[in-house]
Amino acid sequence: MSAAASSAAAQPLQDAEQLIDSVETFIFDCDGVIWKGDKLIDGVPQTLDMLRSKGKRLVFVTNNSTKSRKQYGKKFETLGLDVSEEEIFASSFAAAAYLASINFPKDKKVYVIGEDGILKELELAGFQYLGGPGDGEKKIELKPGYRMEHDKDVGAVVVGFDRYFNYYKVQYGTLCVRENPGCLFIATNRDAVTHLTDAQEWAGGGSMVGALCGSTQREPLVVGKPSTFMMDYLANKFGILKSQICMVGDRLDTDILFGQNGGCKTLLVLSGVTSLSMLQSPKNTIQPDFYTNKISDFLSLKTAAV
Amino acid sequence: MESDSSTATADSSTAKPLSRDNLGGLLDSVDAFLFDCDGVIWRGDSLIDGVAETLSFLRSKGKKLVFVTNNSRKSRRQYSKKFQSLAISVSEDEIFTSSFAAAMFLRVNNFPQDKKVYVVGGEGILEELQLAGYTGLGGPEDGKKVVDLKSDEIFEHDKSVGAVVVGLDPQINYYKLQYGSLCIRENPGCLFVATNRDAAGHLTRSQEWPGAGAMVAAMCAVTQKEPIVVGKPSTFLMEFLLQKFNIDCSRMCMVGDRLDTDILFGQSAGCKTLLVFSGCTSPSLLQDPSNKIHPDYYAGKVSDILQLSGP
Repeated sequence: MSAAASSAAAQPLQDAEQLIDSVETFIFDCDGVIWKGDKLIDGVPQTLDMLRSKGKRLVFVTNNSTKSRKQYGKKFETLGLDVSEEEIFASSFAAAAYLASINFPKDKKVYVIGEDGILKELELAGFQYLGGPGDGEKKIELKPGYRMEHDKDVGAVVVGFDRYFNYYKVQYGTLCVRENPGCLFIATNRDAVTHLTDAQEWAGGGSMVGALCGSTQREPLVVGKPSTFMMDYLANKFGILKSQICMVGDRLDTDILFGQNGGCKTLLVLSGVTSLSMLQSPKNTIQPDFYTNKISDFLSLKTAAV
Repeated sequence: MESDSSTATADSSTAKPLSRDNLGGLLDSVDAFLFDCDGVIWRGDSLIDGVAETLSFLRSKGKKLVFVTNNSRKSRRQYSKKFQSLAISVSEDEIFTSSFAAAMFLRVNNFPQDKKVYVVGGEGILEELQLAGYTGLGGPEDGKKVVDLKSDEIFEHDKSVGAVVVGLDPQINYYKLQYGSLCIRENPGCLFVATNRDAAGHLTRSQEWPGAGAMVAAMCAVTQKEPIVVGKPSTFLMEFLLQKFNIDCSRMCMVGDRLDTDILFGQSAGCKTLLVFSGCTSPSLLQDPSNKIHPDYYAGKVSDILQLSGP
């Protein structure tokens, strides 16, 4: 098998115990790792329990911005998993945390092209917002004399996955970015596709962000994976060294790249969007440290007895 | 040198202001004028001052007039009607829209008639496809469709779609992004065609609106593929119309308001180029150090041609 020029080929995980002992924190992606759509993946509860019993810190990082941390907490609960809000970092939270970290003025507003999760996190962080799902109802009539007005106090446009995406929002967001001096253009993430249902892949948040890039001719600041913003945030918050973290995910260009950019160990699971042939394809340049079928392999893979 | 009061000088550009001195030379050296429409002939539904008289003047001088627009929302027939409603006589054959370009691209490349075309765009594209003998799906009707994300429901798509055409779509929505991207990703050999990639355009008189570039970029992001672009500045449309009219491009002048489509389009083909400031480009944009595209000439608006030729 030909490995990428600059990185050694990923190893199949054989000694799970060694990996577990070598790190202090596990960061898990959610879609394709913990659940698929609304179905829990086999063996997840027991695996998380085992890791906790070994004193490991567990963190859940998802690019899915449709829910807030609180709403994700409820999803975990519904699936019978014991995970608290403080352990969850969704890209919706990341957007709000980013604005807080740069002292985004409270008298400025945020225009949101995205769903409820972003709105809730902005509210919790004390920021004023406009837009969101409600603007999905707004129609454009390109009649003579029609002019779209926009709020001059918008200081940031946050774009994430939006199933209510429409032309009104593209124009409103574009007007803010183009005409309000210093207006920020922030993307929760740029995933091309996403598993909204467990049956198939769906167009991801990257499409909404792409549309705004196309009309503004600007690149956004990305707060979700693979940008290291969330990694830096939680390393700082929990006081952990990145070399003591293992990132576990199903997507090479977000999860694994996120872990590598952050200087962590990386484990790819094949329970989501990436297959073994995709990992081993000559076109793939991203090699995680390890790969395995699913996280419950932690329970069955003992110290190597070759 | 006399300069029109509405035209600021663009000193750091190599472009020359159109003037009484150089207009005669331009008119003598050119047999055909290619005009962009949005920002040159009209803005939204309002005709720009002096356009009708200038076009008549050019026709009286024996010049061929061709209208080339990236706006795919209307078909050539519908554009001909628009000209008519503005009291200008232009025949369908003189109009080249990116909607027409998309249909012609498929025809020129022998797109099979038993394959379908999914359209993320307007009526104009659907009409041109139909005129070319193709079956179009999608278009404005799909703007009404809502995506229902129930756990086990599969979002279906027609496996016989062999091309997805993406253009300006004010009815863009998630349904269309999902449908179009599924076709491109899952139907073997499915073409991804873009009418154009303009970031913005004057869809109404007083304001710019997101162009096809937004819809195309959305589709690129999902499919991680680059489209075949048939409109300006791609040479496809130019090659098509040069062949049709049998003109030498060195005897043509492209008149447009956008540097990265109109002017680049003209330059790539070896035409003369005239930038007008009646649309999306200002004198300061032309002379900005980051701008690398310099037309041969610039003027305030199309009617400067008539004004400068007068006594």
